[in-house]
Amino acid sequence: MAQTVSEALEVLSDQDAGAVIVAGATWVMRAQVRHAPIPRMFVALSNIPELGFIEINRLEISIGSLVTHDVLSKALLNLPALRALRQAAACSANPGVRQIATIGGNICAEDFAAADLVAAALCLDATVELHRTNGTQTVALADYLELRTHRRTAEILTRIIIPMSDKCSAHARLTMRKAGDYPVVIVSVSAARCSDNTLRDVRIAVGSVEATARRWTSLESALEGQLLDPAAIQSLAATHIADFTPREAAGAPGWYRIQVLPYVLHSACVDLRGQLEGNVA
Amino acid sequence: MTVNLTLNGEIRTFFGDPRTSLLDVLRETFRLTGTKPVCREGFCGACVVHIDGLAVPSCLRPIGLLQGASVTTIEGLAQVDALNALQLAFKDQDVVQCGMCFPGMVMTLSKFQETNPTPSRAEIKAAMIGNICRCTGYERIVDAVLSMQSRENAQ
Repeated sequence: MAQTVSEALEVLSDQDAGAVIVAGATWVMRAQVRHAPIPRMFVALSNIPELGFIEINRLEISIGSLVTHDVLSKALLNLPALRALRQAAACSANPGVRQIATIGGNICAEDFAAADLVAAALCLDATVELHRTNGTQTVALADYLELRTHRRTAEILTRIIIPMSDKCSAHARLTMRKAGDYPVVIVSVSAARCSDNTLRDVRIAVGSVEATARRWTSLESALEGQLLDPAAIQSLAATHIADFTPREAAGAPGWYRIQVLPYVLHSACVDLRGQLEGNVA
Repeated sequence: MTVNLTLNGEIRTFFGDPRTSLLDVLRETFRLTGTKPVCREGFCGACVVHIDGLAVPSCLRPIGLLQGASVTTIEGLAQVDALNALQLAFKDQDVVQCGMCFPGMVMTLSKFQETNPTPSRAEIKAAMIGNICRCTGYERIVDAVLSMQSRENAQ
């Protein structure tokens, strides 16, 4: 049980220790179910209080990596711009898991493709703060995700920072069953609307389709300046579907994931339209 | 590693691998077998216990994180040889089928009732989303929880 980030980094730096960072522990404790080895040593962060805070100001929200999904969903209740993140935190897994699973764990579990908070944070232009023995660095979440499997330096993700904006956002997911299942597709969307009702600053993030969540940049570009018409966006999405190389995994085959992706995007866009038209509280 | 925790109101000590799940510690070390091992990945809810006031799956909690924690299992929820109000409602409504999921159902719903004593049918179902009943007896479980409100209203 590390008492400080520096202490945790010290243990991590010892390559021979075979240690992994543990936050809520909900992913690492399922290692055997995935037929994966259990790491030799856990370095627990739960005794480091500063990692459990949420700070909100006019410009940004800073979320400590140990903040649980349950706490996060309640903290974002009065922040409509971050609706996608609130929805993701409120619908992931189940109530019991949401009490212990953390946002840091969701982002750092590199073999967890169906992480709701990752897609939501991506569409909100999140950055992450990384602590290393030689200092602190802040990087875009998208860059962190792209490189996280290749990282060899001991580092700890301490904060997730999301800029405040005038945009609206929405989160949608599809599971094969109502409970006891990982989503086969996750879509988070954010956008603002111009005075002529066209969209600007569109962000679309897709999770669970590929091994790592990522932005759907070709579709984002195609939607700039377009009207928010969910049916038209669904049709347009189908023409950009070749951007994805879907993963084959338990729960759903790859072809199914990309087949239903435009429909899940449609759901998110319906929610987004409701917000932009002032119909959603 | 040595871990001291309060278990059903008593101070207990665990000696062993800190990566061991609380579920296995409860069943194998302390012989509290009311907490059921089923999916072992936090989906089914059969192993839900209360840890520091939260209803969480014990299969996902390494014992090494629980130094100083207060844990309540189904065995410690009510006085010995007695049932709490929720258990009584389940019994009165003849809800229990195979019984495998019920300790977890009781632990989840009893904690839920503390924050929402008069839930709607939809709210009860939402609270139960992490508790799977293979006998598919959900509706009668919901009926039993709702019956507690009508009983209280009648008093």
